[in-house]
Amino acid sequence: MPLLTRDPNSPLNWQGELPVTNRYTYGLAGEKFFRTLKDECKILGTYCPHCDHTYVPAAIFCERCLAKLDEWIDVGISGEVDTYTVLNVNLDGSLSDVPQIIAFIRFGDGGLIHRLGEIEPEQINFGMTVQAVFKPPSERIGSILDIVYFKPA
Amino acid sequence: MTAKIKEFPGTSLNEQDFSDGKILYNFDKLNGAFSWDTGIGIGAYLASLKNGVILGSHCKTCRKIVVPPRIFCEWCFRPMDEFIPLQDTGIVNTYSLCYVTWDVQRIKDPEIPAVINIDGASPLHGIMHMLGEIDPQEVKIGMRVQAVWKPAHERQGSITDILYFKPAKEN
Repeated sequence: MPLLTRDPNSPLNWQGELPVTNRYTYGLAGEKFFRTLKDECKILGTYCPHCDHTYVPAAIFCERCLAKLDEWIDVGISGEVDTYTVLNVNLDGSLSDVPQIIAFIRFGDGGLIHRLGEIEPEQINFGMTVQAVFKPPSERIGSILDIVYFKPA
Repeated sequence: MTAKIKEFPGTSLNEQDFSDGKILYNFDKLNGAFSWDTGIGIGAYLASLKNGVILGSHCKTCRKIVVPPRIFCEWCFRPMDEFIPLQDTGIVNTYSLCYVTWDVQRIKDPEIPAVINIDGASPLHGIMHMLGEIDPQEVKIGMRVQAVWKPAHERQGSITDILYFKPAKEN
């Protein structure tokens, strides 16, 4: 008899988990960007005089002319809503009770992707000014989530 | 090549820099859960390990017995004819003394993974497992070994239902 039928006693599948972890360091510019965000509540960018371009978040070299950038600029904590989306689904696919608003907030010639808060989706306008709300200093760890969300300024 | 390079470009870091908080970083754990279909052959193999039997499969045309069992013959590509229960003894085909664990920790007493040709299967057909109850310096290619099983109630249909292979008496 060819072996073409499955033994009903046999396990259907083998389950396991690959232990995949990673530790990401932010690099020279990222280190300074997040360190300043954590310690001074400032959002930093770098400016390329040759290309007249301000990178936010800060970059260590210019993507256009590849020059090393050392002109650091505090771009303030208020930016403009460039675009946004309303998320009704959680990461695991389940419906969320409170919709989250994710926006690209323009600073200089770049910007940050972050949450919007203290605002309803229907109140958002493109180009409106929003301001970062920071965690209390003791809870800040040097992450983009040290900003809780951006609220209307 | 790299031996000649005295200083590498970039910023070197060590574990101390992380624990001292000198460097900011993001730690992440990816979801690496998987579920692998055992299929007919390996499914039967795992089910019989639970019963304390190493299972092989037999091709009558090629007169081959392979372990773990496959449902088709790798020589003639025809379906295998039957499952064959094999002995839980065998001989060491090859082995290694591992002083490093899978997650790169140094250990003093080596783990001894080995390929063991299972008695009852065709010559040079074996499975990979661990050797135990043996002085690492005493391991020899060609030595006879015997499976040490978990107690029946602890077996769960896994290759680890065999704890390790220990030296057996020469026949």
